Amino acid sequence: MFLLDKLRKAQDKDGFISEREFKRISKETGIPLAKVYGTATFYSMFHTKPQGKYIIEICNSPSCYVNGSLNIIKFIEKELGIKSNQTTKDGKFSLHICSCIGCCDQAPAMLLNKKVHGNLTKTKIKEIFKQCK
Amino acid sequence: MQIIKKTNLKGYKKALELGPGGIIDLLLRKNVTGRGGAGFPTGKKWEMVYQAKADKKYIICNADEGEPGTFKDKFIFLNNPEAVIEGILIAAHTIKTKNAIIYLRGEYEYLKDKIQGVINRVCKKLNSKVKIEIYLGAGAYVCGDETAIMESIENQRGHPRFKPPYPTIEGLYGKPTIINNVETFANVSLALAFDDYDSTLRLYSLSGNVSSPGIYELHYGIKMSDLVKLGKPKNKVKAIFFGCFGGCLPYSELPLTNENVCGQDCMLGANTIIVVDEKQSMVDVTTNIAKFYEFESCGKCTPCREGSMRVLALLQNISLGEATKKDFETLKELTEVIKESSFCGLGQTSMNHIITAIKYFEKEFLDKLK
Repeated sequence: MFLLDKLRKAQDKDGFISEREFKRISKETGIPLAKVYGTATFYSMFHTKPQGKYIIEICNSPSCYVNGSLNIIKFIEKELGIKSNQTTKDGKFSLHICSCIGCCDQAPAMLLNKKVHGNLTKTKIKEIFKQCK
Repeated sequence: MQIIKKTNLKGYKKALELGPGGIIDLLLRKNVTGRGGAGFPTGKKWEMVYQAKADKKYIICNADEGEPGTFKDKFIFLNNPEAVIEGILIAAHTIKTKNAIIYLRGEYEYLKDKIQGVINRVCKKLNSKVKIEIYLGAGAYVCGDETAIMESIENQRGHPRFKPPYPTIEGLYGKPTIINNVETFANVSLALAFDDYDSTLRLYSLSGNVSSPGIYELHYGIKMSDLVKLGKPKNKVKAIFFGCFGGCLPYSELPLTNENVCGQDCMLGANTIIVVDEKQSMVDVTTNIAKFYEFESCGKCTPCREGSMRVLALLQNISLGEATKKDFETLKELTEVIKESSFCGLGQTSMNHIITAIKYFEKEFLDKLK
């Protein structure tokens, strides 16, 4: 039994891991609730608060950074009116600045609901957002 | 490219002929070494696990490629995943185990189905009873450390363990464990399958301020300038960073060997090369990397957990032009303390970028002081 798999399944279902899910997983695995929670919160891809329909994980590690990721991040923050680790009021987008996603050959890059979007520009971001219904 | 040559499972067939002792000898003779960064002879590692006495043994394929600027393992999974799975099966045959795990970083979740398909296909073709499971990580740089991976698989927070004992003696669930990187397993298959296998070829992950970033397969010891030129830099190149952990060097014609790079206080690691051009401020790039370490510190030991926060604050002040000469001296002292006293490799190497940036580009820092 791999705890991270159980946590991931819960998150895939609800977009985040709720208190109810934590309790269920704890009961199911026999691992104390505090430990399940402690393990989950160690990993940056697990969320304990409700997330938007679209989760943006944008890289700000050096390869992306020297290719202007900060400008892209600022642009997204302005477009959506939120900062990193926040969700838009309409529950559509959540934004997370993250560590390297291994797409350094397409810098600056981000994951949108786990799918890679690379060589980001402001125009490209606008187009991507338009397709998010 | 050698790394994408199809073995058609010839490596595994050769392994069956050779048997454990023969496989280990061949890996040593052909000079197959770990490609995660440490460069430990693969045959030697396998021999230690082979000789260890235990009721159960494990194999872990480290696919938690988290070092910023590194994307070679992803490249291998996209272009020659069969060689990786074959390599794992060869390891399983060598140490007589049926338990293997691929620890794939969460950011690569989109590769999981593809890899699972290859596992099914290869195992069926070879009629292998080995169970290769994919465990998905969930975003923790420290889990690239071999013992932190084991903690993570054992359902714990990914804190590194104290070594010794080494994983070859007490690894996953306290049992002898072979843990190798994706590229290493692929190289095992290639070394066994081909008589003309060349152990001096390396995969370089080239990115940063270049027009043609990507994976380049070149010989070990290539000149920095020759490598960087392949990437077609957009502007005049100032420096290269060896990922986040390996520090930086001014752009030159230095041949990239471990001895040369270590001699300059850097680390070559997994041949990650991030090119930085003259338009970038070394203070800002260094601050960006410090932010990465502040975020990724696992919190187990004090120097790394608290130190990375203080270092980041000092660098941000320098960046904003609000730091004094005394702050700069504090920063230098702190980097040495963290380097010397951190618990694991992450903390011990987390200051290399600052130490080397100050060593080679001190003027940029001094110009920003009050």
